[in-house]
Amino acid sequence: MVAPTDGALDRAATRTPRRRLAVWLRRVTRTGAVRTLGPFVPIVVLWWLAAELEVFPAAFFVGPDAVLTEFLDLMRKGVLPGYLSDSLTRLAYGIGFGLLIGLPMGFLVAMSAWARRLTWPLLLFFQAIADIAWLPIVIVWFGFSLTAVTFVIVYTIVFPLVLAVVSGVEQVPQELVRAARSLGAGRFRVFVEVIVPGALPAVAGGIRTGLGYGWRALIAAEIIVGTSGVGFMMFDARRVGDVSEVFLGMIVLGVLWYAMDALVLAPFERATVERWGMVRQVEAGR
Amino acid sequence: MTALEISGLAKEYVDSYSGDRVTAIGEVTFTVEEGEFVSILGPSGCGKTTVLNIIAGFVEQTAGTVKVGGRVVDGPGPDRGVVFQNHALFPWKTVLGNAAFGLRMKGIPAARRREIALEHLELVGLAGFENRYPHELSGGMRQRLGVARVLANEPAVMLMDEPFASIDAQTRRKLQEDLTRVFELRRPTVFFVTHDIDEAVFLSDRVVVLSRRPSRVREIVTVDLPRPRDWQGTTALPEFREIANHITALLSEGGDREGPELTAA
Repeated sequence: MVAPTDGALDRAATRTPRRRLAVWLRRVTRTGAVRTLGPFVPIVVLWWLAAELEVFPAAFFVGPDAVLTEFLDLMRKGVLPGYLSDSLTRLAYGIGFGLLIGLPMGFLVAMSAWARRLTWPLLLFFQAIADIAWLPIVIVWFGFSLTAVTFVIVYTIVFPLVLAVVSGVEQVPQELVRAARSLGAGRFRVFVEVIVPGALPAVAGGIRTGLGYGWRALIAAEIIVGTSGVGFMMFDARRVGDVSEVFLGMIVLGVLWYAMDALVLAPFERATVERWGMVRQVEAGR
Repeated sequence: MTALEISGLAKEYVDSYSGDRVTAIGEVTFTVEEGEFVSILGPSGCGKTTVLNIIAGFVEQTAGTVKVGGRVVDGPGPDRGVVFQNHALFPWKTVLGNAAFGLRMKGIPAARRREIALEHLELVGLAGFENRYPHELSGGMRQRLGVARVLANEPAVMLMDEPFASIDAQTRRKLQEDLTRVFELRRPTVFFVTHDIDEAVFLSDRVVVLSRRPSRVREIVTVDLPRPRDWQGTTALPEFREIANHITALLSEGGDREGPELTAA
């Protein structure tokens, strides 16, 4: 009966410092900065290693240091801030009009049987014409202008949004509508008080998808329309063979999307559908 | 005064799979007096919930009328508040917001609304939970809120659709006792759907027993047990057993032909 006791003591001795390390690790990984940036560390390290070891020729593949230098340089010259504000302005217009058109249209199609019968074939038809496929004719109509880019972004956002609203309205439990009706709500109040908030989880998902599409459409449009913006910057850099600027552009895109998610989408979802317990939290353990 | 008058109610529907016409409810007639607690019991699949859905105005009957306070009703309305089996609370509204929903639809000013809602939350034992959201409540608490939401709206009749069926046995007992206490205190008119014989006898003044499909009223059993009732005392009374046994017999007679499908759990 001596050996097991010894073993237990042994285990206890090794467990304490290990557990202390685990507690410390858990505390460190809980901070916001580590959570946000932590997953990128191995990627940056791999990237840096690949560049340092010259796995690819340096003319085609630059390391983090070169991109950082490029970033500081373009910031100092004011090129990057200018392009960024151009891109963001276009995106803001596109999103604004996209939501303004897509949300009411979605609810109209979802709520009215004849509106759906009338528009459904059209929706499917026009959805099939890819956003960028509109660019040639849009450029003919509006030239290389903000209107042209906005048109394409709006076009991309509206369809996923309408489809999301329709499926969101369909997902509202019938019992909630019945409950509201038997508490004295008329049809309009049922719509405002039950249908709209009830559809919100799906609508929030649709906004997320729509914005993602819009964001991609913006870059594509800038590459083709090509007067300014992050997309233009990247394509222009490719033309003159400046790989670090292309890399920088890609990183800027990722950072901007991340910021939009963290500053707008996620707080909105936390304040609504997550707080109401209507969806599982997007990121576990928040 | 008669609060609820059901006469000659029938429901036929076309089975979407086979295309046959099915008679769910043959002919159902009964009344609920003001301040009375009436339950409806029947073999499973006999259309108890359909009767409630017709009274609530969610489903249209094939024949017959539903009168509330002497007036024929059609479609849902605030005179018939419903407590649902799966609570059907609004997830985006707080406990208080749910309890005050009907009052808001009536256009009652915010301060008064809050006062009435808080009073009813206290009545059902939810005081202090007014700022929570439904998903933060336990199953039993959600049903309490469902009752408060309807009672705050002062309907002519409260319709309850197997409200305690999906709740664990211990909590259910407590809810049944608390519902009885609230009923004895406020005397609302209640129409209660259940498949639990003991629950029906314990809660009710009268029990409408339906036959199997096409359902008709087999018997309306008067439950003449003294109030206030509590689970231990009331269920120990010999009269309680007598009535429960009588209803059990009624239900199993109806099931003999096609084999017993009776569930008393």
